[in-house]
Amino acid sequence: MRTKSGAALSGLLAIGVVLGTGACGASKTESPGAAGSCDTSKGTLVVGVIAPMSGKLSAIGLGIRNSVQLAVEQANEKCAVKGYQLKMDAQDDEANPDKGAAAAQRFADDANVVGIVGSYNSGVARAIQPKIASTKLVQISPGNTDPALTRGAEYATAPKRQHENYFRVVGTDDLQGPYNARFLVQDEGKKRIAIITDGKAVAENMATEFTKEIEKLGATIVGREKVNENDSDFSSVLTKIKSLKPDAIFTGCDYSISGPLAKQAKDLGLNVPVSGNDGIFDPQFIALGGREGDIAASVGAPIDKLPTGSAFVEAYKKKNFPEGYGGFGSFAFDAANVIISSIGKVTASAAWTGAPEQRTALVKEVQAYSTDQGANGVVGFDEYGDSKNKLFTVYKVTSGAWKDVKSGQFEAK
Amino acid sequence: MATLAQQIVNGLVLGALIGLIALGYTMVYGIIKLINFAHGEVFMVGAFGAHFTSAYLLPDAMPWYAALPVLCVAAVAVSVTVAVLMERLAYRPLRDAHSLAPLITALGVSILLQEVVRVFYPGATAPLPFPRVFVDSQLTAGSLIVQWTGVLAVAVSPLLAAALHWYVERSRLGRAMRAVAEDPDTARLMGIDLNRVILATFVLGAVLAGLGAVLYGIHYGQIDTTMGFQNGIFAFTAAVLGGIGSIRGAMLGAFCIGMVKSLAGQYAWGGAQYDYVWVFVLLILVLMFRPQGFLGRLERVRA
Amino acid sequence: MTLDRPPVRHRKPAAPELPGPAAVLLRLRAPAAAVLVLAGALLPWASVVLPGGAYPDLATLQFFDAPHLVTGFRLHLVLLGLAAALLPRARKPAAIGVIAIALVHMAFLTGLGALSIGGPVTLAAGALLLWAARAEPPRPRMELKTPPPAVAWLVLLVAFAALLWLVSATLTAGGQSRATNPYGGAEFLAFLGFGLAVAGVLSAYGVLAWISAMSERHRIFSIAVLLGCALMLPFTQAGTGYWMTVASSIGVYAATAIGLNIVVGLAGLLDLGYVAFLGIGAFTAANLAHAVPFPVAALAGAVTAGVFGVVVGSPTLRVRGDYLAIVTLAFGEIFFRAAQNDIGGLTGGANSIPGIPPINVLGLAFNEPVGGLPGGSRYYMISVLMVAGAMAVLANLRRSRTGRAWLAIREDEDVARAMGVRTGRAKIVAFLVGATLAGLAGAVFAHKLGTVGYESFDFSESVTLLAAVVLGGMGTVPGAVVGASLLFVLPEKLREFSDYRLMLFGLALILIMRFRPQGLVSSS
Repeated sequence: MRTKSGAALSGLLAIGVVLGTGACGASKTESPGAAGSCDTSKGTLVVGVIAPMSGKLSAIGLGIRNSVQLAVEQANEKCAVKGYQLKMDAQDDEANPDKGAAAAQRFADDANVVGIVGSYNSGVARAIQPKIASTKLVQISPGNTDPALTRGAEYATAPKRQHENYFRVVGTDDLQGPYNARFLVQDEGKKRIAIITDGKAVAENMATEFTKEIEKLGATIVGREKVNENDSDFSSVLTKIKSLKPDAIFTGCDYSISGPLAKQAKDLGLNVPVSGNDGIFDPQFIALGGREGDIAASVGAPIDKLPTGSAFVEAYKKKNFPEGYGGFGSFAFDAANVIISSIGKVTASAAWTGAPEQRTALVKEVQAYSTDQGANGVVGFDEYGDSKNKLFTVYKVTSGAWKDVKSGQFEAK
Repeated sequence: MATLAQQIVNGLVLGALIGLIALGYTMVYGIIKLINFAHGEVFMVGAFGAHFTSAYLLPDAMPWYAALPVLCVAAVAVSVTVAVLMERLAYRPLRDAHSLAPLITALGVSILLQEVVRVFYPGATAPLPFPRVFVDSQLTAGSLIVQWTGVLAVAVSPLLAAALHWYVERSRLGRAMRAVAEDPDTARLMGIDLNRVILATFVLGAVLAGLGAVLYGIHYGQIDTTMGFQNGIFAFTAAVLGGIGSIRGAMLGAFCIGMVKSLAGQYAWGGAQYDYVWVFVLLILVLMFRPQGFLGRLERVRA
Repeated sequence: MTLDRPPVRHRKPAAPELPGPAAVLLRLRAPAAAVLVLAGALLPWASVVLPGGAYPDLATLQFFDAPHLVTGFRLHLVLLGLAAALLPRARKPAAIGVIAIALVHMAFLTGLGALSIGGPVTLAAGALLLWAARAEPPRPRMELKTPPPAVAWLVLLVAFAALLWLVSATLTAGGQSRATNPYGGAEFLAFLGFGLAVAGVLSAYGVLAWISAMSERHRIFSIAVLLGCALMLPFTQAGTGYWMTVASSIGVYAATAIGLNIVVGLAGLLDLGYVAFLGIGAFTAANLAHAVPFPVAALAGAVTAGVFGVVVGSPTLRVRGDYLAIVTLAFGEIFFRAAQNDIGGLTGGANSIPGIPPINVLGLAFNEPVGGLPGGSRYYMISVLMVAGAMAVLANLRRSRTGRAWLAIREDEDVARAMGVRTGRAKIVAFLVGATLAGLAGAVFAHKLGTVGYESFDFSESVTLLAAVVLGGMGTVPGAVVGASLLFVLPEKLREFSDYRLMLFGLALILIMRFRPQGLVSSS
């Protein structure tokens, strides 16, 4: 009886402790920068974030959240939106469309929310888009690469804008895949290429676009295999691919799969370069097994060569976030700045009420937004809501680090 | 032909690694009839324990033959601690509850452990590189290539299983375990301390999981918080396939799964994307025609 | 498998009587504690005025300046303190509520570095009250007489209206926006503590048993009122687009969980791949969405899932117990993998099936707002009706011949067969009915979300469904609904703790199983 009540009390205490730590975590975000020096008499505006912040993709999601937090704090310091204090509200979607849709609805209901940065997964975005379409809440994705989200199912032949309020700052699969293909065939002289994907939309679509371009260029796809996203043993797939004698492997997966994949390829004596897109352009790829000569083609100019890019990296480091900015932090930062700058223009003429007309006005401002001073260079949107930034850079692993070898505009042929 | 041989070797390595986790499942299930879904997480925390020791406690320049035993001890220590806490705090109070209560608790423990490691272990939001504390080269025989770490796994894992088998057959505690597995109430009447035997079962399973975690880490060169989940499902499948409660069966089931996954990816319809499907199809077929698994005993009426 | 052996609970013996002044002092503990609770509620809780406004409900309040401003958690504490002072039986639940409220707010305030004396005083008062309550001798259970029908109807009406209010208040406690109200998480958790205490007080006075006896006697009436109340939710404070979205998700999962409850709770067949049936229904409806009207698509989804239910159930003829669990897990994984690989071009693979139109009845699309109601409210209504239908199916099956066969199989399959129960047929029927319900829910899911992809149907969803059934109470009619609501509302309300959310969920599963293994709604 004593032990029973003891257990109950210790359970209560345990909850208290966990909640206490939770509160500590929460209090981090609420210290209002240097808001004291700005006029914030008109109230608070919220930039929403929807990203996967728990589970396997949390490194990416937390990088997105922190980068938006950085943009919001910088805006507050600079009094970017006159009369208002800005805040960030980040919602975890667990990479689950249902959860993402609920979070989006929550933002759409809230008049203080001016826009959403997110989601990372194209699958989540497909559920969010119809939820918020009628509310005109602006959404800018730092990570959705499925071309159909902006241009519809017939994106290649009969593109049609899907949603007025949906934008993205990241290059789509039908740019990233072909750019990589051209580099492999035209610059590296590869003829026989094998593809490995992980069943996620980004990998599959990228691989399909990659294949189209490879065939146009006269090279061969010797095989295409799919691994499980939770797997860590790829020896069987790689053995199969080895028997097909490729001279390069294209992977649509991010570094958490591609890194071990590269290591196991080496272990099996399959010494051909692994090539991927922005998902593998991360130092962790090399730590997990990426080898000399492995290739990544990523959107934008090399971040440390752009003054705005290195400024972002510097500022991020100064904030001492526990997590790195990840592969998509700089895009999230740009997306947040688009929203912040546009809301400044909308609120300059009238106080923000969150009425549909104001949200529509904000969508118009976002559409008209254009700068070449983003963390990734050009930030702006074409008539479908896609990024105007069609600059790609190819990196290679050289003496244990990514080194840029080539930058160029993607031109559709 | 070379490809077939290579695929068989791949399957053996995978099977050896899964087998060590499967032993923990089969032991715990054999004793208290609980699918301990959190056992995969015991394996996972072992890997992180070893990683922690290597990254924060050991000096950088340490020869692998000195570091490897230390990492094994660390992994086993962490795994055992977690398993003991789990049994004492989460499962023991539920001994008399209906059988789904401990199962849900096991799922809760699994989520809790994964999340605790992910949130509190530095850098664990993404996969972490595991130290290379074994010969980092390959054994080449003709066209056949296998990592030395794979050779180690295939050599060590059946040995450990054999040792466990010997222990359970011969030692006093092992006899007590078998008695409890047979009939807990009678065993208690015969003067066997049920709590002690059950705890010992968890500890034995955790020791093997910890060792398995280090083998896994050095072979794949990376660990992450979800590694216990997927491998745990495979391991449990292996335990069922081999006949749950049987140590030899668990190893046999694990090798079988490794083999099927490897060969199905190469030769079966649908390619690698359907390799899991073949593993589970095999499982269903075996259970349909031999519901007790390869080496299990048919369960008759139980009180 | 023995599924419901009730746990043994021991009552502690009454404390020995102490002589003289000590006894008087001991007897004074309870009133003193009650007074202390009242004092604690009115003391300052936060030492500073925090950025972003006062701590919830004016924690630095000066009582004598503005007594009418006692709102929120302070009001709850005052109410609990008064209850403890006036109602002897209410002391234990009130103490637990007071402790919970105090702990939650103290944890938050400590985290913010602004803890003041109000919290510790209240916590001490709560502990004292608990001590006093535990020392009291056990009282006989209160029995209230069942009143005549007219009064009973009125009481039931009031009770269900109160329940509706409670649900709405719980959902909206702490507000919706974390950015504008950073303390919402604390307010919600503290409100939960208050709600539990109120339920405890009512239970201690036999009110809950009284109401449930009345609703049992006037079944039809109370079901109608309850259904009416559920349909009224969009008209309360909780009638926002967000809560309607969450609530209709709950409806979908609750209907699925009821199906699972038939398989696991009644027939005792553990299924670890159940979400596949939801998926089969959803994919079927999604493929037909552009071709046929919704009722036809829903029917097709239900039938297809039912057929697969029979297929998955067929191994039960040979495989038993936990071996069956692993077979169902295998089926679940096979479904997941097949859906991911776009088998037969039916699932859209990685790109999922986008652009499923909203349900359209008489030219009125279900996603558009109507009058003052937000867009999702009609999906909410349809899911309420679906859940009500599923509950009716479950309740009727439980009392049918098949239901008795299931219970017999659950208790002991061999004995059941020896008694002449056709076990094979009964087990297949369990899977058939359960899967059909899940398939129907899947059809609503597809239309509600507008897109269906494989990632919605992974193993963890099956686990969540099973947890909903077990948490709610296996084999009980409202159990699965209570469980599903809890498992979906809690994570939404715990968004405050973003990083710690899943961790708390895991901890909650462990703690609930530890302290209430038979589930929240017990069948006994």
